[in-house]
Amino acid sequence: MTAQLRAELLKQRSTSTNLGLFLAMLGLVLLAVLLHGLSLPADRLESASDQVEVFRFGSLLGALFAGLVGAMSITGEIRHGTIRPTFLMTPRRGRVVTAKIVASGLVGIVFALVAVGVALGVGSAALAARGIPITLDGSDYTLMPAGGIASAALWAPIGLGLGALLRNQVASLVAIVLWLFFIENLLLDFVPGAGRFAPGAAAAAITGLDRDTLLAPAPGALLLALYAAAIAAAGWIATVRRDVP
Amino acid sequence: MPSRPDQNAARSVHERERPRLVPADGGARDPVVTASSLTKRYGDVLAVEDLTFSLEAGTVTGFLGPNGAGKTTTLRLLLGLARPTAGEALVFGRRYRELDDPARRVGAVLESNDFHPGRSGRDHLRVLALAAEISRARVEEVLELVELEPVAARRVKTYSLGMQQRLGLAGALLGDPELLILDEPANGLDPAGVHWLRGFLRRFAEQGRTVLVSSHVLAEVAQTVDQVVIIDRGRLLTTGPLADLTERGRTLEDVYLELTAGEAS
Repeated sequence: MTAQLRAELLKQRSTSTNLGLFLAMLGLVLLAVLLHGLSLPADRLESASDQVEVFRFGSLLGALFAGLVGAMSITGEIRHGTIRPTFLMTPRRGRVVTAKIVASGLVGIVFALVAVGVALGVGSAALAARGIPITLDGSDYTLMPAGGIASAALWAPIGLGLGALLRNQVASLVAIVLWLFFIENLLLDFVPGAGRFAPGAAAAAITGLDRDTLLAPAPGALLLALYAAAIAAAGWIATVRRDVP
Repeated sequence: MPSRPDQNAARSVHERERPRLVPADGGARDPVVTASSLTKRYGDVLAVEDLTFSLEAGTVTGFLGPNGAGKTTTLRLLLGLARPTAGEALVFGRRYRELDDPARRVGAVLESNDFHPGRSGRDHLRVLALAAEISRARVEEVLELVELEPVAARRVKTYSLGMQQRLGLAGALLGDPELLILDEPANGLDPAGVHWLRGFLRRFAEQGRTVLVSSHVLAEVAQTVDQVVIIDRGRLLTTGPLADLTERGRTLEDVYLELTAGEAS
């Protein structure tokens, strides 16, 4: 498996795909954090939980892009046909899928660390510039990076599993974005009792967001891990059993 | 990488002479490739139907048939990329995915452009080499062998079709395999490239290794192979040494057209 993992890590490094995703993520983090930090009224930025709403975009976008990296790692190979030489070299396809889960999880963690760090830095600067004191405590500063890492590490296999099932690159990427930014918002708005159990809400819960609506961090992490395991397993089985495109 | 003597099937790629075929070892060994009652169904379509043939070591076999005859499907079944509906496709007596070290037994190219356009040719090969635990030195060796060293650092999207064909071949040769399976390898090659490929395949087989090459370009095949497997509509039309089929002055084309026309009527 280490051979396959090394191959997957070189795949991740040897094209500019990840750089493009990384820059897109950075841009979105900056945009979202700055817009919220600079334009929300000051009285809505006083409490720690208000301020977390500004910083949360780091872990949210980190998780999203980890999912995209995971989806790309299999659908990109299908799109360009490299899946054939890949499986000729490693006909035990499960090893390739496992290596992809680990490799895209690692890349996703790096993405999330940067996203969380940038969000914290830029968000703090924005609040400081407006003279708003930061009221976050030690647990917030622990949960945000920890939650970001955990969400990214678990959203990468979700993306990979979805990509392995759908096989189509554009469809997979659009599905992930729509799910996280549209469908889950609708669920949370209209059926919060169900929406809080959705995978994006579970990722947000790990970060310690909005305890009234979302789960607590630990059950959120457990739930997201179950989603990741189930979806990755479905993608794993599909990849092993179906004919290679 | 465990290195065997004489890694390069075609060390001197400019070599002009085309030596005569050296017969294998009398066919005493187990077949390298075996298809037995191989069948593949896609929905209502029988892409391959009850196909049986086998190849022995040291032969170059042309796998012929019209477009859509089931050639690529058969190769995919042999290589474990698709699962047979019935029957069996074996290489070295086992299913491909059960081979211990497939890259060192079998090299294959199915499509001419199975590359990420943004990845360099060298990185493409390094990815494959890492997965099969093949050394970096061997990557450089195969780059030299297919004469792609000067462009190895360039992204594949800048390659001509001929360069892409050679990069695909380089990937198949990474493990210094005993069996080479190529699907339409001459597509996109210029006459010099075709000439080079022909010499390469002959030298490969003279070392006791085996080649299965699909094609619908008969003139090209007739000069390269020593036996043929001809299929149409997923079924075997004929198989045997080229010399037997083309006796009494008949050309491969005559035989092929007669067989495939008989099938169509």
